[in-house]
Formats: sequence, structure tokens, C-alpha cells
Amino acid sequence: MITLENVTKVYGADTLAVDDVSFAVAKGDFVFLVGPSGSGKSTLLRLMSREELATEGDVWVAGRNVSTMAPSRVPYLRRTLGNVFQDYKLLMNKTVFENVAFALEVIGKPRHVIREQVPFVLELVGLADKQERFPNQLSGGEQQRVSIARAFVNRPVIMLADEPTGNLDPATSEGIMGLLREINETGTTVVMATHDHRVVNMMRRRVIQLDRGVVVRDQERGVYE
Amino acid sequence: MLARIEYALRETWASFRRNLTLTMAAVLTSAIALLLVGATFLIQRAFENLLLQWRGDVAMIVFVRSDASPEQIALIDGTLRAAPSVVDVEKLRYLDKPESYAEAQRIFAGDPVTLSLLTPETIPTQFKVVPLTEDTNLVRSLAEQYRTLPGVEAVALAEDEFEVISTLSGFVRTVTLIMSLVLLAVAIGLIWNTIRTAMFARRREIEVMKLVGATNWFIRIPFMLEGLLQGLIGGVVSCFGLWALNGAWTGGVATFKPGTGISSLVVPAGYLSGVMIVLLLLGAAVGAIGSAIAATRFLDV
Repeated sequence: MITLENVTKVYGADTLAVDDVSFAVAKGDFVFLVGPSGSGKSTLLRLMSREELATEGDVWVAGRNVSTMAPSRVPYLRRTLGNVFQDYKLLMNKTVFENVAFALEVIGKPRHVIREQVPFVLELVGLADKQERFPNQLSGGEQQRVSIARAFVNRPVIMLADEPTGNLDPATSEGIMGLLREINETGTTVVMATHDHRVVNMMRRRVIQLDRGVVVRDQERGVYE
Repeated sequence: MLARIEYALRETWASFRRNLTLTMAAVLTSAIALLLVGATFLIQRAFENLLLQWRGDVAMIVFVRSDASPEQIALIDGTLRAAPSVVDVEKLRYLDKPESYAEAQRIFAGDPVTLSLLTPETIPTQFKVVPLTEDTNLVRSLAEQYRTLPGVEAVALAEDEFEVISTLSGFVRTVTLIMSLVLLAVAIGLIWNTIRTAMFARRREIEVMKLVGATNWFIRIPFMLEGLLQGLIGGVVSCFGLWALNGAWTGGVATFKPGTGISSLVVPAGYLSGVMIVLLLLGAAVGAIGSAIAATRFLDV
């Protein structure tokens, strides 16, 4: 589903973020990218969603070579991906329903699809009764659920999550991880960057550890060390 | 498809209202710029009307009485041709009654009183004379001679009527043209700035749109429509302004004493509508250019 071949990313003149990284993620996998700040986790996610271009090497996502992809094809790549962030990136002037609907609206989905899919996915993340609330009327955990609903509403084949529990307390984080596990169980590949020991140790999934842009450990059913 | 169009129109309208102050500034600036463009066209056309009878280096017109006999006309023609060192015989032109009447219709378009006095029968015919010499004194002395010929009603010299107006026309054209070009550039800049501000205000939304896979065109189109709309509204406002201005001018000119020439400074209604269409198109173009530059330049947020 995702394959990185000798990928190097240099920011500016000489800031080496990712150094000759290769690994593959199979369809339906759940993978943690772990490591300290600045180890290159976020950069790897950004390379997969083509927010950054690799300086060297190839990045294959959902059967497409992202490194050689024409800029005009990038939106269609993004429609196969769901992105979740530490800061949720919700639109404050839109309700929960509108925030999720927005993701379908701007890729031109007809209204009957929106009316059908949005309540369904809000039910899935447990926010069926808060559709008309605005983000600032929700807790952090609830906001992250909205953001996951928005990422999942278009049924992506891959979910990319960058520190999704970074702003949340342990109990709330557990809930979010449960949600990501459910999404993974529907067959969606999940790649999550984190430095949250608890969630990694709780899940016991594949762990790829990075240090200064280099893969130092790749372990099935791993823990955070 | 329908959902996309609906989305674009809704977003355009929402953004339009959100930025009302800036939008007003952009619309008014384009309106004023376009009004000036329109005025340039009209002034140009009005002067052309006035200078119509002097077109093609004509420096002297010999008006022949409408009741002159064919022999008298032949004599005048012969006299003019007898001075080949001064008069360009090749370019000497005689306008008979229908031709003179047609020309008068245009010259006195803004002077219905004079126009009503003229008929194809009573109108003076005319010889249009192009001189070979630059020496105006020579032409003037020749004119004095012709005045005394039988059948001649009057002799008009370009020097007396034409040159001041011609210079004035050139000056006015240059000034209004430069001013309208500058104002058009300012209008493009203001629309560009309005769209840039609108995009900045919505940068979070644009970021999310890109994230979930909206195409660049989908993001851009509401902004470009907004700019187009601003330019177009400016165009409509300028059309109203031009229409009012032209009405006031034409009305004012008609009260001038007939025969002063000022009454020739009007344009036909058909020409005014043509200019208005040009203004609408130009307004739309100004809006489209300003917003297209902004929407392409500031999409990376």
C-alpha cells in the first residue's frame, strides 16, 4: 500500500530530515512511526501525502509513484488519503456536521451523498448528538473525533495521523486509539506518527523507530523504547 | 456538477458580502476608470464629428450658393484648377447637394434647429481644397479672390476653425487616455488586493480543501468569479454614469447658438451603446485579470 525506496529529504540547503529510508506498509497494516521531535516522523507523513517532495528516492502510495506525480494529480491522491493532525485543523465557523460535509462538498460530491454519509460517520465516531455544535463547544477529544470523521468520510484506503493524541489526556487518547483501531479493522491502512509511549505500548502494533532521519528499528508488535 | 456550481456561487456571494468595504472600493475604482475610458471614446468621436469636414488635409472649403447655376460652378472649378502651384488639383473634391447634405447630418447632429433648416435643395454645395503649399498667407490671399467669384457663398479656412480644435482634441485624447490607463491599472490592483484579502481570510479553509483533495480550480473559481463580478458591477455603474453624462452634455450643447461648431460635439446613440458594451467587457476583463493573478499567486497557503 505504501512503499518508500531509499527516500532522502533535505530542507533548504543542508537540513537533513530523512536519510535514505526504505520500508513497506502492507494493505490493512497499522504502523507507528516513533522517535523524538525532529527525527523525521512528520516529514515521512508529509512525503506520503505529497505536501513535500522527496529530494531523492521514490515514494509509492496506493499504487502511484508520488515523487513523479504531476501536480494536477495530487488532489486525486489526497482523496484516497485521510489526514488527522495534532491541532485538528477544524473550521471554527462551521458546525460539526458542516466540517465533515465540507470534505465531501469540495470534491464535488452530490448533496444526497453528503446527507447520507455525514450522519453515518458521525455516528461511528460517537458524535451523533453533537452535529450542530461548533468546535469551540467541544472538548479536545471530541474535536479530534470530528477531525477523524472528516478524514474517514470519503472512505480513504490510507489514514495518516500526525500526533493525533498529542493534545489529549490519557483516557481521551485511549478513546481515540480505539476509534483508529476500528477504522483499521474496516481494512484501512493506518500510519500514525507519535511519541506517546502509552498508546504504542497499549496497541502492540508494528513500530518503526526513527532517529535523526534514519530508521533504527522496525519491529512487528513492538513497544516504545 | 450542479453541486459544484452551487458551491461556487454560494462562496462567491458569501465572500462578496464579507469584504463589503474593500469590494466597494474596488467596484468604485473600476467604475471611475471605465467611465473615463468611455468618456475618452465619446470625446474622440465628438471631435471627429466636428472635424469631419476637414478630414484629409483639407485647408479651405469654398461653399457654393445652393441657387448657383451650373456655369457658375464650372467657373469656380476652373478658377481653382487654374492655380496648380497652390492647389492640389488631384485632391480637389466637389461635394454635390446629396453629399453635402449627408455630411451636414453628421456635423449638426447635436443641433436640431440648424438641421431642420437644411434641406437637400437649399444646402450649399462645396469644393474641398487641399493646398500644395505650407504658406498660409498664400492660401489666405487665394481665399480672398474666391470670395468675389459669382455663386460663392463663403470660403472657410482650416486655419481659422480647425487647428485650435485639432490641437485641443489631441491634447484631451492623450490626457484622458493616460488617466484611464493608470486608473485601470489601479482598478486591477485593487481587485487583486481584495481577492488576496479574501483568500487570506479563508486560508484555513483553503488549507483543509487542499488536504481533502479539492482541485486548485475548484478552490480558485469562487475567487475568480468574485473578481469578475466586481469588475462587471464597476462596468454597469460606469455605463449609467456615461449615459447620464452624455445626456447632460447633449442637452447642454443643444442650447448653444447655432453655427458655433460646439453643437457638433455630440455622438449618435448607436455609438454610445457600442461604448457601453465595450465598458462592460473591459470591466469583466479587469476583474478577471486582477482576481486570476491573485488566485494563482496566493493559492499556496
